Amino acid sequence: MNTKDKILARLREGVQQTFDMPDLSQLHGITYTDPVAQFIQKATTTAGAHLIELPGGVDLNQAVHQAYPQAQIFASNLPGIEVQLNPDTVEDVCQLTAVDVGIVQGRIGVAENACIWVPQAMKEKAICFASENLVILLRRTDIVSNMHQAYALIAESGEYFRDYKFGTFISGPSKTADIESALVYGAQAARSLTIILTS
Amino acid sequence: MSTLHAKAAEEYLRHTDIVERHDKTFFGVRQKRDNMAQALPEWEDLREAASQIKKHTVSHLADYLQQFEENATRNGIHVHWAADAREYNDIVYQILSAHGVKKVVKSKSMLTEECHLNENLEQHGIEVIETDLGERILQMMHLAPSHIVMPALHVHREAIGDCFRSQGLMENLEYPNMPDDPNDPTYLTFVARMHLRRQFTEAQAGMTGANFGIASTGEVVVCTNEGNADMSTSIPKLHIVSMGIEKLIPDYASMGVFQRLLARCGTGQETTVYTSHFRGPRPGGEMHIVLVDNGRSQILSDPEHWQTLKCMRCGACMNTCPVYRRSAGYSYTYFIPGPIGINLGMLRGSRKYSDNVSACTLCCSCDNVCPVKVDLSTQIYRWRQQLDSMHRADATKKIMSRAMSFIFRHPKLYTRLVGSLHLARWVPSAMMKTPLNPWTYGHEMMKFPPKSFHQAWKDLKPKEDEQ
Repeated sequence: MNTKDKILARLREGVQQTFDMPDLSQLHGITYTDPVAQFIQKATTTAGAHLIELPGGVDLNQAVHQAYPQAQIFASNLPGIEVQLNPDTVEDVCQLTAVDVGIVQGRIGVAENACIWVPQAMKEKAICFASENLVILLRRTDIVSNMHQAYALIAESGEYFRDYKFGTFISGPSKTADIESALVYGAQAARSLTIILTS
Repeated sequence: MSTLHAKAAEEYLRHTDIVERHDKTFFGVRQKRDNMAQALPEWEDLREAASQIKKHTVSHLADYLQQFEENATRNGIHVHWAADAREYNDIVYQILSAHGVKKVVKSKSMLTEECHLNENLEQHGIEVIETDLGERILQMMHLAPSHIVMPALHVHREAIGDCFRSQGLMENLEYPNMPDDPNDPTYLTFVARMHLRRQFTEAQAGMTGANFGIASTGEVVVCTNEGNADMSTSIPKLHIVSMGIEKLIPDYASMGVFQRLLARCGTGQETTVYTSHFRGPRPGGEMHIVLVDNGRSQILSDPEHWQTLKCMRCGACMNTCPVYRRSAGYSYTYFIPGPIGINLGMLRGSRKYSDNVSACTLCCSCDNVCPVKVDLSTQIYRWRQQLDSMHRADATKKIMSRAMSFIFRHPKLYTRLVGSLHLARWVPSAMMKTPLNPWTYGHEMMKFPPKSFHQAWKDLKPKEDEQ
């Protein structure tokens, strides 16, 4: 018997009592009358992100440059965004560690914890983490109340994990409290996060 | 006969200021967790659901593991099975050496700690870089973790600054607005950031643990605040996941329950910054998952202790534990401290790790904060009942128990002894404070009243009858 069969056999023999899967449809997560307002509040307080509500007619490039006036290297593969590096065509992934601002599209916002579902939609996902600063675009209409709803949407949708086999929820900039519990933004990944809410 | 935990704790308790700081730090995390729990009306429903999902999954683990392997393989992931630490270490080394890897960046994983992976790889000449800030600090200082989620909170900033300086991490580093405190946490975090970001680009492989494995999709989920697991897997092409077989959950609906509980219980946050779902290798890369048993299937067959397999390593039981908070991680002889560590240690080796079962007041606080309702204190109690049969019971306490049992079985003797207890007041305290009377260790001897309760009751009775 190989290791796998041995482990599986031991597990099958060892079970003392079996239990049914609970009915999770009976579990009701918290919902908000105004999920967008709750999302904005969570994102800008506990999550430590900046948030821009983009009025109609304002150019996205202008908003990004205004948010990061010192930045020199921008990276994205989104149409209409002016960049110096593209994560689809970058020769060496390490180049993305020099990016000042990476811009990606978020697909689901979660009001309870300011998580944004960012499925990999570019060849090098390093842009989401290695960029000094990250900008996530999110449509207001894509905000739900809680994680149960977000996971249900991902499970039902056939579009994620198709081209690239990765997706992540991001809530705020990279942070740590490993030195004497002092909260510090900018541990290993993005030092700041700006969420641009679009209509 | 004190246990090793008691002896180590005694030593630790000499440093009052350090103890107070440690206690406050972790009770602060416990309070943040309470705020999270109270903010959600469905909190108890979530805990109950999490417990039931785990009971279900663990009792159908073989089926779910097969499903997980099938789906992961379909996703292009290589799945390996390891019966014990040795097989696990061999598998990882073989994958790394086949790819000519000289340096690995690694995010935090208690499983690799359990199997001593780092030492093993280093013996083979492979450099292992921990990338969680706390873990990296400990690695540089050659220290072990003192907590499973916040491993280095017991180390003070001065020591961390000194360590970074001695490693030359500050050299050629420009930092705007240099703070007055050379050990300012924001500055030290920046120093570590620059050091680690260089490591990510130099390494040929990234290793992560797995907070969850999802059977229905064949993917693993890794949660971090720092983004170090993501950096480790976005730059090197090779990704190896180490996963204990009990980390499996059935599907996305279950994932919602656990995602909502993990950070709230562990650190008192609504979520970790990153909740990353890995369902396959990155373009042009390779992904491996090593499923590790190392005693877990044995635990499943233990009727009294199988529920420890529900644990998702959030650390909440440590933060609330009055003994952990005042004795800290190094007082325990197993590498995982606190209530869950006491139990996991006993399951690893009941003779070897029995010194930790004394580290519990049976206050049961851990049971009430555990997000998956592991009956931690009940299990510790059960282990204590077995100490005598393992010849690990305290001899003095055994004699005392026998004597008390004798006295309680002889009512006349009992009454006479209780009636004369007040005489103890006249015994000089120096004679009371002997090793034969463990009560006086750390306590003042109690003052016995001149009359026993029985006598006082009897004296009171006639008066009542008169009324």
